[in-house]
Amino acid sequence: MTQASTQPPLLEVNGLSLEFRTRSGVVHALEGINLRIQRGEIVGLVGESGSGKSVLSYAMLGISDAAARVTSGSAVFGGLDLIKADEPTLANIRGREISMIFQSPRTALNPIRPVGRQIEDVLRRHAAGDVHQRGPDLGQNLRQRAVQALREVAISDPERRVKAYPFEMSGGMCQRVMIALALACRPALLIADEPTTGLDVTTQAAVMDLITDLARQRQMAALFITHDLALAADYCDRLVVMHAGHVVESGPASELFSRPRHPYTARLLSSTPGPGTTLEDLKPVPGNLPDLRRAELPACRFAERCEQADDRCRREVAPVVVQGTHAVACWHPLHAATPSEESAV
Amino acid sequence: MSTTVLASLNTTTPLLQVERLHKRFPVTGRRDSFLHAVEDVSLEIAPGESLGLVGESGCGKSTLVRLLARLHDASEGRIVFGGEDLCETPALRFARSTKRHAIQMVFQDPTDSLNPRYTARQTIAEPLALLSSMGVAEQRARVQEVAAQVGLPSELLDRFPHQLSGGQKARVGIARALAVQPELLILDEPTAALDVSVQAVVLQLLQRLRRELGLSCLFVSHDLNVVRLLTDRVAVMYLGRIVEVGPSDQVFRHPQHPYTRALVSSIPGQGPRIKLAGEVASPIDPPAQVCRLYGRCPVGQDLCTRQTPLLRTVGNDARHKAACHFLQPT
Amino acid sequence: MSAQRSTWWSHARHVIGDNPVTLVAAVLFALLAVLALIGPFIVPYDPLASKAESALQPPSAAHWFGTDALGRDIFSRVVVATRMDLGIAVSSVVLSFAVGVPLGLAAGFLGGWWERGVTRLSDTIMAFPLFVLAMGIVAALGNTVGNIVLATALINLPFYIRVARAEANIRREAGWVEAARLSGNSDMRILAFHLFPNALPPAMVQVSLNMGWAILNAAGLSFIGLGVRPPQAEWGILVAEGAQFIVSGEWWVSLFPGAALMLAVFTFNLLGDALRDLFDPRRRT
Repeated sequence: MTQASTQPPLLEVNGLSLEFRTRSGVVHALEGINLRIQRGEIVGLVGESGSGKSVLSYAMLGISDAAARVTSGSAVFGGLDLIKADEPTLANIRGREISMIFQSPRTALNPIRPVGRQIEDVLRRHAAGDVHQRGPDLGQNLRQRAVQALREVAISDPERRVKAYPFEMSGGMCQRVMIALALACRPALLIADEPTTGLDVTTQAAVMDLITDLARQRQMAALFITHDLALAADYCDRLVVMHAGHVVESGPASELFSRPRHPYTARLLSSTPGPGTTLEDLKPVPGNLPDLRRAELPACRFAERCEQADDRCRREVAPVVVQGTHAVACWHPLHAATPSEESAV
Repeated sequence: MSTTVLASLNTTTPLLQVERLHKRFPVTGRRDSFLHAVEDVSLEIAPGESLGLVGESGCGKSTLVRLLARLHDASEGRIVFGGEDLCETPALRFARSTKRHAIQMVFQDPTDSLNPRYTARQTIAEPLALLSSMGVAEQRARVQEVAAQVGLPSELLDRFPHQLSGGQKARVGIARALAVQPELLILDEPTAALDVSVQAVVLQLLQRLRRELGLSCLFVSHDLNVVRLLTDRVAVMYLGRIVEVGPSDQVFRHPQHPYTRALVSSIPGQGPRIKLAGEVASPIDPPAQVCRLYGRCPVGQDLCTRQTPLLRTVGNDARHKAACHFLQPT
Repeated sequence: MSAQRSTWWSHARHVIGDNPVTLVAAVLFALLAVLALIGPFIVPYDPLASKAESALQPPSAAHWFGTDALGRDIFSRVVVATRMDLGIAVSSVVLSFAVGVPLGLAAGFLGGWWERGVTRLSDTIMAFPLFVLAMGIVAALGNTVGNIVLATALINLPFYIRVARAEANIRREAGWVEAARLSGNSDMRILAFHLFPNALPPAMVQVSLNMGWAILNAAGLSFIGLGVRPPQAEWGILVAEGAQFIVSGEWWVSLFPGAALMLAVFTFNLLGDALRDLFDPRRRT
């Protein structure tokens, strides 16, 4: 999906398709994914669980399930195609250029290692390449950097906390530690996979504030994966909406939130209780995600749940129509653009 | 809250009346230390009313709810239900009490709250077998009836939990709670573990059931938007105490207690965020005269360390109360 | 209920067909079970009949496994011993299970004095080298098959207690345990009808491993003369009888009973995973 910018994007995913070979059939998890993230941009990737959001990020980092096969497409990061890169190259990129934080902070941290040591492990792994960092006081140097990393994520009393174990910390603090781990080597891109699910509202706000503040300070790009559209709209510059392995819409957050163009985005919005809605206003998304193992999937995978779907939707994949920076792939978009504004990509 | 004040507020006898409930857990390893999970909680629920209970992790709402459901015994206080003090029967023996069927609960995690070795039918039928006098045929019919009420197709009844989706499991949990026709239904974060689209469906189902069955509900959640939709009144908890209580719409639109204000402002899209400094204080041996929020509160003053604020009326509405020395009605 | 039974069988077939190892284990187990049941009726020779002239004959067409020092057909003795060994194993495992699992569940779920008492018992048993304890019990009570079963059951008790207690500890806080209380279950009912079925899968693996150990235990006791008495046929005794002849070159007297022992224990170990899959509804598709 195009973005009006002269700079080359930091990450560009083109036509990425991925499938899983399972005993009960081939699961077409991703199809023709296009995604672009500029340097320093905060992008929200939203969709129901099962829409392929996490699968996409795992594929980019090369940590997909063993049964996954990329059937086409590329994911170019700083001139390197991550899909075609080999494991040693990817291992160097993970943690250093691209970092990821996960959903359950307590389970993502090693329970038998103090948090400071875990941060030092990351630093040590990626310091191997930096000649000036080696030497007899590497240990001392790393320890100080670990304390500094904790301080930067607003953990109070970091000299003491650096020796603490994950079970001694609250959920919110564990999440901060995970953020510290991820940002220790100053990556250019942070992927956050549902970082606030399960956290309290105030902790959620604090964690999201922290991530976005650090991102802005360091000109770091961030990809937020979440099913909470309102949360994404509040914190992200741009939103990308996924449904059943397709990208259906993308655009500036505020615009997408107030004037969604894809029927699915509109439904997602209307099924989320907000400050002004009443219970009768809530319109849940009808039906369920289609079974991606079926060989005969309709061209538009939302067709079976969409009121506006017609025969064409089932047969032909809708082209992406761009209006400014707001792109949608639908034969019957809401707030349809006038012909002069349309341009196929 | 004295009982006389409570009595004057109600024109009808409340279904549930909680009076000065306390729950203290001994701290392992330290002999005279106690963790004050629930402290001096008083509230009431009228027949057919839905009361929301909000607060963050560690505020004691899970403990409070388990005290009300008589799964645990309180350290102090009374739980008056239909005129009877439930605390007189210890929790261990409450399972066989005649009042057991009257208070039921829907749990947070549908996967965790269903026995993985029982089919949906067996799960829903069990309370009927144990708490009602129905024969086998009647039980079967009732299971079908309640499954239909919650929108669970009958062909799913013979499936095991791992063969059901999240939304279907949630329905089984609700059906189980409704099977014995309770008077009070406690809902402990019933949609927290569900996906957004399924959440909407379950919420609408709960609303419909409330209306059809005239149930009283205690709806616990940390999602304020959801609570606002399904409740008439709401109580806000912090560190074991109720800090604000009142009609839901009012509490959300005009929160009075500093904690409620911070909570409401954290909802995405609610404008400028009021941040509370530091971390939650420890619930172990809290000093008795200090307000629990002191130290994080933007308003905190000397008086707050000398006298724990009690719930008092805000403005003109006798139903809206907040526990703060420095209320500024907006 | 018949609908449930038929799905149980189709599930059993699925589990067996799914994994070739399970299939092998199932076939071997079936073979052992058949031999245990009808062995004494199909053997070519009377296992107790001694014929001095044909003593210590190597394996031949007439005697597949050769003959022992008293001229008895080893093949017949090995087959007949299957019933004895399997019988001891099954009885002791069932006894261990029936006593150990409820004790462990009570310890894990009820805590307090239950837990203290049961863990003390378990620790006391485990403080002894298990085989030595078995020897002691049989020596004190006398060499009967019954006492062997008792001794074997006792020394295996801690394993069941531990497995059941661990399960109960984990499940104690589960939502469905609380829900069961709300549904009117007393603590005893929760133990019996909710926790017990859930403790079955890991207990089943234990059962299978124990069968192997129980056989080895009985064989070991018999080997040192504290078990089954001659002239009864039991794999351990047979190995003992042949031990003195290995040096003089009559290898077949010990080898075949030893191989039978090995095969039986091997089968039960393989069966462990299959048994667990059979009993766990989560593995049903």
